[in-house]
Amino acid sequence: MSDPRPANDAERFLRLAQREARGRLTVYLGAAPGVGKTYRMLQEAARRKAEGADVLVGIAETHGRSETAQLLEPFEVLPRTAVEYHGHALDEFDIDTALERRPGLILVDELAHTNAPGSRHPKRWQDVAELLVSGIDVATTLNIQHIESLNDIVAGFTHIRVRETVPDSILDSAEIIVVDLPPEALIERLQAGKIYLPDTAGQALANFFTLAKLAALRELALRFAAGSVDRRLLDQLATSGTEGGFAVGERLLVAVSPGKGGAQVIRHAKRLADLAHAPWTAVVVESSGARAVAGSQREQVAENLALASSLGAALMTVAATDVAEALVDQARELRASQIVIGKSRRSRWFEWRHGSIAQDVIRKARGFTVQVVPLDEADGKAARPRDRNPYRAPALALLLVFATTGLLDLARPVLPTDAVDMLLLLPVIFAASRIGTAAGLWAALWAALAYNFFYTAPLHTLFISSPGDVITFAVLTLVAAVLGTFAGQVRRQAETSAGVARLNASLARFAGLLGSVSDRDSTARVACREIGALLDVEAIIVAKEDGALIVRGHDRLSKLDLVDEAAAFWTLDRGEAAGRDTGTLNASDWQFHPLQTAIGMMGALGVARGEQGRVIRADDATLLATLIDQTALAHERLLLEEEARQIDAFRERDRLRGALLSSIAHDLRTPLTAVIAAAESIPAQGNYADEVRIARSEARRLERFLGDLLEASRIEHGAIEPRFESLDPTDVVMAVLRDLRQDHTGGRVDTRIAHDCPLIEADPVLLRHALINLVDNALKFSAEATQVEVTLEPVAGGVEFIVRDRGQGLPADPTALFERFARLEGSDRTGGSGLGLWIAKNFTEAMGGTIRGRNREGGGAEFFVTLPLVPMRREPVSVGNA
Amino acid sequence: MRKDVLVIDDELAIRRLLASALDRAGIAHAEAATAGDALRLAAAAPAPLVALLDLGLPDRDGLEIVPQLAALGLSVIILTARDATQEKVAALDLGADDFVTKPFDSEELLARIRSALRRKAGPLANVHRREFAGGSIDRDTHDVVMRGEQVDLTPREFNLLWALADHPGRVMTHESLLEAVWGPAHRQDLDYLRVAVRSLRRKLELVPSAPRLLINEPGVGYRLAEAD
Repeated sequence: MSDPRPANDAERFLRLAQREARGRLTVYLGAAPGVGKTYRMLQEAARRKAEGADVLVGIAETHGRSETAQLLEPFEVLPRTAVEYHGHALDEFDIDTALERRPGLILVDELAHTNAPGSRHPKRWQDVAELLVSGIDVATTLNIQHIESLNDIVAGFTHIRVRETVPDSILDSAEIIVVDLPPEALIERLQAGKIYLPDTAGQALANFFTLAKLAALRELALRFAAGSVDRRLLDQLATSGTEGGFAVGERLLVAVSPGKGGAQVIRHAKRLADLAHAPWTAVVVESSGARAVAGSQREQVAENLALASSLGAALMTVAATDVAEALVDQARELRASQIVIGKSRRSRWFEWRHGSIAQDVIRKARGFTVQVVPLDEADGKAARPRDRNPYRAPALALLLVFATTGLLDLARPVLPTDAVDMLLLLPVIFAASRIGTAAGLWAALWAALAYNFFYTAPLHTLFISSPGDVITFAVLTLVAAVLGTFAGQVRRQAETSAGVARLNASLARFAGLLGSVSDRDSTARVACREIGALLDVEAIIVAKEDGALIVRGHDRLSKLDLVDEAAAFWTLDRGEAAGRDTGTLNASDWQFHPLQTAIGMMGALGVARGEQGRVIRADDATLLATLIDQTALAHERLLLEEEARQIDAFRERDRLRGALLSSIAHDLRTPLTAVIAAAESIPAQGNYADEVRIARSEARRLERFLGDLLEASRIEHGAIEPRFESLDPTDVVMAVLRDLRQDHTGGRVDTRIAHDCPLIEADPVLLRHALINLVDNALKFSAEATQVEVTLEPVAGGVEFIVRDRGQGLPADPTALFERFARLEGSDRTGGSGLGLWIAKNFTEAMGGTIRGRNREGGGAEFFVTLPLVPMRREPVSVGNA
Repeated sequence: MRKDVLVIDDELAIRRLLASALDRAGIAHAEAATAGDALRLAAAAPAPLVALLDLGLPDRDGLEIVPQLAALGLSVIILTARDATQEKVAALDLGADDFVTKPFDSEELLARIRSALRRKAGPLANVHRREFAGGSIDRDTHDVVMRGEQVDLTPREFNLLWALADHPGRVMTHESLLEAVWGPAHRQDLDYLRVAVRSLRRKLELVPSAPRLLINEPGVGYRLAEAD
């Protein structure tokens, strides 16, 4: 791993940059209710309003205090919205209207408030976070005991645990203003009845108001505010390039264990990290033993991880057999300087039997500081799984050893005595590999005793007389114990790998099934069926089509409830998980996950489960992520296939159109050839001379139109591939003149060909065609009495063909000159396909040349076709110059 | 009676037109609408001298029967589109004598047919002397006379002029000229030919920048204007 420092600084900078666009959060922090936070907030807001700020009161709790209510008067107050809950209408903050109204500053009292079920977010701080993200400044109030990382401390000396907590992360970028009141004054106010306390919590809260506790809370609040200022100062120092005086590159690693104690350790780690201004990582080690951990404990792990994440930790899960080893390895890899780990207060006997991970870590962690957080005993027990029935293993082991001894007894006549000790190892191995390590060790003990009892002299006692037997007994005990341990480990590993193999097999099956379907409905059906079976949930896939929500993959369900739909839209619009067990719209029965790939949002996967508890078990989260990835990829594949099919269809249509055009043009050409030949063979004399001439020239024009159409379709299909050859530009001009003579217009064309024109590399067919179009145009757009002039001369690096006429000149806006179907003004009179110049331009450019037109001095137009000696795309070759 | 020209075209209108033009010119002719008919008529005795062949035939590709017609002793003139240079070169390589681009001018077509008939009529009387528009070339004496005046040519120019004059009025493809004058190794060295043609034009043409004698068919080859 690289040095974490630059990443840290980058993160810091990013945070600051994001903060620019975000709204600013001001938190009025108090040590206890009644210090006057709301009052102070309103005072400040009034000042801001006087300065001209657009202030909206979202929520302000006056608690019936008239001074506070008075302060509210000048403000615009947002009406609360009613949320229906169990027949009661609860008034809640109306976040939608607030977002729509977009004030400059909004006051939202009581940050730690829990919203009524069915609201968009379960917690008010989440509403505030959304307001901030949409760039609205927010002012709010908070009591110190509601801050997540201080929760334990406060509970420690007040003996009251506050359920409503606010994650520290939301306060990270906030301006903290401490509303301070000396404890004595606060108690006075309480006694004067000036402090509002809810009836239910009255007595409990009253316990807050002792001088000692209030003093402690006040100190905590002041310290927190100071720490927050400190942190923001450090952010600024770091972004302005000045190093603060703190240890850089410090990182903490906290081991997350199942059980409630885990949360305690995490909060402790958070405080340590804050003190050190260090980033921290919460690590869960999934040992093979931990797979047997009961479901409720898995959920504890997930909750602990969520807590760590909300406190700003990076999360990491590693799989290993040896937890301590894995932790130390991780710490080394992350270059952590400290490892924080919990340790239960347990008896020595318990530790001797189970070992202690904390002890192991301390032993192995050379070069790290290990912080051990003492835990309550109740939690500690949960740290290691225990068999449901503690007597099961020894009993089974005893039964096995008994059975073996009985069999050995029956076989005694044919068995050599030496073989007995070996054969007594069989139940040990069997117990260890089939039942577990504990059973194996028990079997080892029983086998040793049985050997002693049945086979060593004096028989049927637990005494041993022969020294040889003592050794045999000792060896048997040792071997049995070692074997028992090993076999148990082998069993665990086999179970783990069997689990992994099952998982891989189901993933492979999943991918295979998804690969074999070819439309969205069946993909959704297959994916939902398999995900449902693998995770024991109901699954649907939702997508937004034409603004409406489409539900796929479920036999009965085709429409969602309103709140479920809102959660689905949330996920589809923002690419974030929403619904049950998430921070957004968790009143929904469904939990939605985005199906996102590199090319976009394919839809969302919804999962639900009838029972209580989490929809997705913590150790299924990785599997779910993999399934989501595969489902998203399958949808992406469908989308790409569909696009490819559409493009193919489009190409096919295009090809057919091209084929049709050229076939029509060809079919028209043949009769036209006959018409032209016929017209040519009638002598243009006598009474019908004019008619014959008209028939000839119009037939020729029609022929040119057809030619233009065919060339245009070739250009559109990108089928112009110049065949470069060395040619004499003179020859091309002469060929143009010969072609035009056929059209009986030759008399009007003058040529001026320079003697010293170099040879060029070009496509003779394209060049001739381009020039014919230009000369044809010139003839068409100028009076019959005027001459058209074709000039060929050498220029630097190439040759230039110039076609000049004395016609009406170029239109006022010459930019469209070379566009398709662009006709010069008045061209209707003289006729034309509108493709001539466009084709000339395309052909010229295909040969690496340029074409331009301008008005000629003295009237008329002139067109320049400039071609390089050698087309740009080729390596210059030496041209045998004449 | 000998049919001098065999008209091969699947379009009735074109055949009729060509027929009436040939009638007016007093040239006897036969008509074929398919490649099969064409080959049958070409093999009849007395054989026609010139085949006027449209390459788009219903039963076979016109290019396929070019070598067969040439082998039967016919001089083949193909009817082709203006820009179809590759088709022209292919036909010439396969033994065709000349081409006329569609839509054709019947006067020009008749001129080409007459020229081909002339070449067929009498084997050239003189084996070492050829005439062309305004001049002559003698292989034995190495004399080149243009507008009555002796012209000095380099050996290369002389060989090139001879290669062209040996087939008066016919288009010689670039490659065939390069092979005849420079050898098979230089079939692709078009630059050599362009440069030699330029110097030849400077010595023979009245206005070298507006050549009337050494005529280029872009993308195909050169033709030396016939003596009138």
